[in-house]
Amino acid sequence: MKKVIITILGQDKPGILAKISDFLYKLNCNIENVSQTILQSEFAGIFVVSIPKDLTLEELTKYFQENIKDQSLNIHVKHLDKEVSKELEVNTYIPFIISTIGPDQKGLVAGITGIIAKYEVNITNLKAVFTGEKDPNKNFMIYEIDIPEKVNHKLFTQSLRNKAKELGLEINIQHRNIFNAVNKI
Amino acid sequence: MFSNREIISTIEMLKYEHLDVRAITLGINLMDCMSNDLEVLKKNIYKKMTSIASNLVGVCDQIGEKYGIKIVNKRIAISPLAVLAAPFSSLQMIEIAKTLNDIAKEVNVDFIGGFTALVEKGIAKGDLALIKAIPGALSETQRLCASVNVASTRAGINMDAVLMMAKAIKETAELTANNDGIGCAKLCVFSNIPQDSPFMAGAYLGLGEADAVINVGVSGPGVVKKAIDRAVSSDVPLDLGVIAEIIKRTACKVTRIGELVGREIAKNLGIRFGVVDLSLAPTPTVGDSVGEIFKSLGLKDIGVPGSTAALAMLNDAVKKGGAFASSHVGGLSGAFIPVSEDLSIAEAAKNGNLSIEKLEAMTCVCSVGLDMVPIPGETSVDTIAAIIADEMAIGMINNKTTATRLIPVPGKKAGEFAFFGGLLGESVIMKMDHMTTPNTFVRYGGLIPAPIQSLVN
Repeated sequence: MKKVIITILGQDKPGILAKISDFLYKLNCNIENVSQTILQSEFAGIFVVSIPKDLTLEELTKYFQENIKDQSLNIHVKHLDKEVSKELEVNTYIPFIISTIGPDQKGLVAGITGIIAKYEVNITNLKAVFTGEKDPNKNFMIYEIDIPEKVNHKLFTQSLRNKAKELGLEINIQHRNIFNAVNKI
Repeated sequence: MFSNREIISTIEMLKYEHLDVRAITLGINLMDCMSNDLEVLKKNIYKKMTSIASNLVGVCDQIGEKYGIKIVNKRIAISPLAVLAAPFSSLQMIEIAKTLNDIAKEVNVDFIGGFTALVEKGIAKGDLALIKAIPGALSETQRLCASVNVASTRAGINMDAVLMMAKAIKETAELTANNDGIGCAKLCVFSNIPQDSPFMAGAYLGLGEADAVINVGVSGPGVVKKAIDRAVSSDVPLDLGVIAEIIKRTACKVTRIGELVGREIAKNLGIRFGVVDLSLAPTPTVGDSVGEIFKSLGLKDIGVPGSTAALAMLNDAVKKGGAFASSHVGGLSGAFIPVSEDLSIAEAAKNGNLSIEKLEAMTCVCSVGLDMVPIPGETSVDTIAAIIADEMAIGMINNKTTATRLIPVPGKKAGEFAFFGGLLGESVIMKMDHMTTPNTFVRYGGLIPAPIQSLVN
């Protein structure tokens, strides 16, 4: 069995998952892992699927095009890149959560992620949440990150704090365990 | 992966609801420092304490930074000095007190507790010297706390000790008259004193404890208040059962943070972790007050009828939530109602809604007792002793810790203000009846026998 990754983007509506999974089942493919989310009205799903030996990536893509005739869905198929996942496993990471609070404006995410990328820190989850009705300050950005152990923590957090100040944001940089302690039993 | 709500509510608790770790208290057993040579004893104490505690503040700050949580106070509790320094005179005990004060400054902790005697059944030579040294020790140091246990459920009340402590309180107040008797803010009289409390002024390290131990005092009256406020303003139908459940859940979260932080500090210092103290401890800051919780519960002020019931519910819910969150709880573990240290309680005292009698009634259902209560300077030794005896009786009969931290403010009358500053706060001086009424009862002395509750074997 070979593994592929199928990503699906499109406007959310009932039946997307049913259609895709039924199609894969009929091709004798096995869904190993799925993650999906809905942002405002858009659906996004990532499927890790093992496919029969005699089915090529090109054939699978073609079948998708022929059978899933839904124009609002954007489907992409590619091989699962094993090399990268191996490399990720070897390193040790320290999980942190960065949250910024402050008025929305262009360039907030670019500014913060720029620093995160500069230190080769990986973002595992990013969310923007607006909790205030008329209060512009209730604009939260939440970055769940994995900091490689080799990163100089002091320099990294200082750079983040400087950038946040520049962007007019309040920033919190906290180890993930405190969120575990409060929310998970 | 966390939900948005989980992350944002945690950040809000830390940033806007004054959730913090109120005290990390490093307990240090000093019994191996013993000597009958004063200089050797002082040297041994200095050496042991500075070597164990040198990294305490640095590690606390580092862990606080890692989790984005404030660790407000770093403190040290030591073995009871009356035992450790038993061979010495009162004057020599004051010398040791000064050494401890120097150590506190050197390792940068705000208080050292353990200028302590345990005299519930009788007063030994060292105990007597220590009690007599209290006024001098507290007036000549800034960072030392004293506590004396004068009663217990198993032993009864030592009324000789009660009277001595009333005298010590008066003298301490006189010696620190320039600062409204602030010395008394560092002096607690206890019934059933716990061996592992991280909270001052009553912290000391019991003789049954290890060489070094980290105890944690969590806080969070602000978090509890906000949780109740949110529930009240939501559409969910509320009764007191539901509110108690909300308090319980909040206490559980608060305790888990305390345990997480405490365990990590202990690990980094290479010291064992002791207990989490589940007390709701206020500060004189808006939004960090136990008194405000009473208002959120629908009472006009802390002290009006209904306050004892509300406090009983609050205290019980905090304990239930905390006990679920941590398997090692101890210390005082209950809501504190310190008058000057809590903005809203001080306000209730000022506007006449809270009397000293109602405070005493409320201490039947919470820890720790008549705490940080400024009383008129002219209050007699007899009356202070009688108030202490009453409070000790509540602890003795109910098998719980109670204490008094009374401050007879020299030269000031009821209705005037006493200012202590910082976390000790400020308050109106509470009205007292029978300030100078003669009291033969407390002058009889002797022991009030242990109650029938003591016969549990």
